[in-house]
Amino acid sequence: MTLLLDPPNVSGTTVAAASARGATKVYGKGDTEVLALDNVDVDFAAGQFTAIMGPSGSGKSTLMHCMAGLDRLSGGSATVGDVDISTASEKQLTLLRRDRLGFIFQAFNLVPTLTAIENITLPMDLAGTKPDKAWVDNVIDTVGLTNRLKHRPSELSGGQQQRVAVARALASRPQIIFADEPTGNLDSTTGSEILAFMRHAVRDLGQTIVMVTHDPVAASYSDRVVFLADGRITDQLINPTPDAVLDQMRRLSN
Amino acid sequence: MFRLTIKNLLANKVRFALTTFGVMLAVSFVVSAFVLGDGLRSSFTTVSEDITAGVDIEVRNVADFGDAAPLPMSTVTAVSTVDGVADAVAVIEAADDAVRPIKANGDYITTEGPPQLAFNWIDNEQLSAFTLIDGAAPDVGEFTIDLDSAAKHGFVIGDSYELFVPDGRVNLTLSGTSSFGADNSTLGAVLMQMNTAEASELFGLDGITNVSVEVAEGADAVDVQAAIAAAIPTASVIDHAAVLAETTAEFTDDINIIGNILLGFGFVALFVSIFIIYNTFAIVLSQRIRELALLRTVGADPRQIRRSVLGEAFVVGVLASAGGIGGGILVAKGLDALFGLMGADLPAYPLILATRTLVVAVAIGIGVTMLAAVGPARRAATVPPITALNGGAEAGAAGSRTRKISGFGLFGLGVLAGAAGLSGVGSTTATVATMAFGVIAMFLGVTLLSPLAVGAVTGVLGWPMRKTAGVAGHMAQRNAARNSRRTATTAAALMIGLALVSTALVVGESIKKTIGSTFEQTAKAEYYLTDDLEDVEFPATLASDIRHSDVVTAATGFTLFEAQVDGVVADAVGFDFNQIESLLDLDMQDGSLATNVANPILVHVDKAEQINATVGDVLTTDFANGATIETTIVGLFDEGAIMTQDYLYDYSVLTEAGIPQTAEWLAVSVSDGASPAAIDALVAGLSDEFPAANIETSDEFRARIVGMIDEVLTMVNVMVALAVIIALIGIANTLALSVFERTRELGLVRAVGMTRRQLRRMVRLEAALVATFGAVLGVGLGLFFGWGLVVAMPPSFAATTAIPFVNIIVLMIVAAAAGVIAAWLPARRAGKLNVLDAIAS
Repeated sequence: MTLLLDPPNVSGTTVAAASARGATKVYGKGDTEVLALDNVDVDFAAGQFTAIMGPSGSGKSTLMHCMAGLDRLSGGSATVGDVDISTASEKQLTLLRRDRLGFIFQAFNLVPTLTAIENITLPMDLAGTKPDKAWVDNVIDTVGLTNRLKHRPSELSGGQQQRVAVARALASRPQIIFADEPTGNLDSTTGSEILAFMRHAVRDLGQTIVMVTHDPVAASYSDRVVFLADGRITDQLINPTPDAVLDQMRRLSN
Repeated sequence: MFRLTIKNLLANKVRFALTTFGVMLAVSFVVSAFVLGDGLRSSFTTVSEDITAGVDIEVRNVADFGDAAPLPMSTVTAVSTVDGVADAVAVIEAADDAVRPIKANGDYITTEGPPQLAFNWIDNEQLSAFTLIDGAAPDVGEFTIDLDSAAKHGFVIGDSYELFVPDGRVNLTLSGTSSFGADNSTLGAVLMQMNTAEASELFGLDGITNVSVEVAEGADAVDVQAAIAAAIPTASVIDHAAVLAETTAEFTDDINIIGNILLGFGFVALFVSIFIIYNTFAIVLSQRIRELALLRTVGADPRQIRRSVLGEAFVVGVLASAGGIGGGILVAKGLDALFGLMGADLPAYPLILATRTLVVAVAIGIGVTMLAAVGPARRAATVPPITALNGGAEAGAAGSRTRKISGFGLFGLGVLAGAAGLSGVGSTTATVATMAFGVIAMFLGVTLLSPLAVGAVTGVLGWPMRKTAGVAGHMAQRNAARNSRRTATTAAALMIGLALVSTALVVGESIKKTIGSTFEQTAKAEYYLTDDLEDVEFPATLASDIRHSDVVTAATGFTLFEAQVDGVVADAVGFDFNQIESLLDLDMQDGSLATNVANPILVHVDKAEQINATVGDVLTTDFANGATIETTIVGLFDEGAIMTQDYLYDYSVLTEAGIPQTAEWLAVSVSDGASPAAIDALVAGLSDEFPAANIETSDEFRARIVGMIDEVLTMVNVMVALAVIIALIGIANTLALSVFERTRELGLVRAVGMTRRQLRRMVRLEAALVATFGAVLGVGLGLFFGWGLVVAMPPSFAATTAIPFVNIIVLMIVAAAAGVIAAWLPARRAGKLNVLDAIAS
């Protein structure tokens, strides 16, 4: 475990799946102006599980939203693979999300009218492409949903719903998966199952995951933790443990 | 709590406006019915007062059945010698459109719309409805015309004009112009006056219409009336009030029919509005369920919540009523224009907003809205406070036990009431009320049961969407099916309109088909001579004139009259039995058209069975003119489509009875080898002589009747369009609310890659599905209603149920397309959704 203090430029060790340069996000105007992201430079390495941590209002969710093409930067640039998402059109962003990104949200991940399997293949159905059946079966098998595929979300437990969400994010083999507090609504046992599976997806299946969390235990499943405070990247931890993350958080809030 | 009510309304202006608009449209239609009816009634009352202004007493003949005989001219003298009579004048009035002036350029004045009326000129100003304006009163060989018509049609005093009269044409010189009543309110009619000495002859009358009496000053009108009655015991003598009442009643019968039809459609629109108000309140309250529960948690009692919701409904009702009153005036103007387009100009009428109109508008506007909101308000009021904590649950079950039972119960009750209504239950009002109740009960029954079908039906209808629109179609279908009660109520509003349209289509098609087969089987004549003039008949001599043509093999006129057969008044028709063989197939069941028997008649087989008569029996016929003839049944016939009367008389009987054989219509057969040129010459001659007549082959005749049915269908569809528009507003409203409700879900699908276009398509397809579901229910019910009506109709009118498949399919497609259009704004709004806000909410 390595602890780096105050790195001006945090980079992964391998090729970046997504990166931001001088990323700035301002909300509101005049007196109510809030600087959510302040000139952030960051790279998310391919094949790595990165966690973004920080206190409430630190800008961690904003950073994720801007990297995922859900929100637009006020300044600077962000790229996913070879796509500059700061200049892409709304339509291009939609197609990028559909074809190259995966999402896992904290809650309300699934379309209530669709069955589990329909939710899993939704991005590919939207694109009109045929899912890679062997891969999808493999994903479903791994998350243990084989017996639940015909069920609607309302017939699934919270943990099962999140597993469907994870399966959906993986099913289209996206370049990068963004997860926003994916275990925030789950009890710790179910949460750790999901996290273990996400780590499995990165280590064994070669996925890239960026996860926003405020839970040190969740962060400890990642390969690297990036810390944000007041819209700036303040620190990072490689191969974190819960205690080290907690320490770092405590230091941040002081 | 009232502040909260107002805030809720203001927070959702569009939804509020749409809901209000639906009720407003419905109220508008009801108001327009009153405005139009009151205005026209007032116009015609003015006219009636003008006509009868100076008449103290009127003397005329009345008949128990048939047309009353004219009075002899000598009655005038008899009346004028009665004590207390200051003056008595003959009034001679031609049948409507019997006298029609031809313009200088040879053009005719159209006979659609206001009538052309001819009277004798009356010198006594108090008894005359006319005042001379220019020129002189008409001498023999002259006529006067009202000044508006003179100006409009270019009649010049001193010039000679040709006029159509019942016996052909005459030339008269225009001697002057007149004005009618106090302010010449002719309502567009053409009014002519001829000299009293020749008026009866010109108008084809065998005497005078009535005698108008001016009572001498100081004499008691009641005494004078009694004295006249004693002097002329055969005539009926009535006072001014009775004259006015009679004249007014003649006009108002027609107006009441129009008014009642408009009211009927207004109530259909109101009924549809109830569905959309109910749905809007139900959806909005289920969305606000947590907020209401929170209010309950902090101490609001159920009554306060209920009052708050009903308060919202009240405000909607007040605004809708106010808007509806204004809208009603506009709708009335629009109907004016519509009648004008169809060639039947309504006369000018004053704008009258009676207190009754305002009270009814406000009562139904507020009443209907609050009635629709009662259910949702009660449900909202009983929400347990705990709901605030665990979040409102979505949707109730599609079919609870009570719902099924009451659904089937209502539908069954409706069918029974409808059947009872169709077979008649006493008065017209009672029959209409019973049928209306039946139809409403069936609608409500189907509405209650329809949630059960939403899943299956949208599954089937959604199949092509899933195939063509991919996941957007798939999700649209799931969305339509997810809240079956909401979808069912939304669709029910559309169902009502489409049920009425398809009922009309089925009945119309059945009648058309029956007419078609009737013409094939019964009508053997090549040509038919008819006209659209209600009171004008063809001359008695026309048939024999036509028979003189070399190409004609047979021809007869058909004279309609009322007679008393063995003491019972019946509709009858007279024609030439010798000619009928090659003109009409009467489907004889017994006997023959033998005319070697004196005074032969034919009786319909069903009637014969009913009165227990058979061939050879003698029936006593009393005619309207007082003649009594012993008639002998020579045959029984079964044709009922063209001969809708039960008794058919040979013209020899009419000659014997002294009944003029003026013909309502004629049938003509031409010889097989006749040259087309000769036939053309015959037709051209007839159309020259009778420019207002239709001389048609059976195909042309049939096509015209079918065209008239289509015209009525179009009228019905235009009226029902209002209910359909309200239903479409309901779809737009429901979808807008659903889109709002599904904000997070829409945000999610956008986040994982649904494009705006796909999202919009999804919303529009959902609307198309809901609309098509409504159309399926509506068409289903419409076919059922149509079948019921056709079964209840006399077979001569509609023999078998015919379904216009093409029209029905077009109707479904139009409904689906209309649904898509209704969803345009909600879809756009869904497309503009901010993804981040949606998923963060």
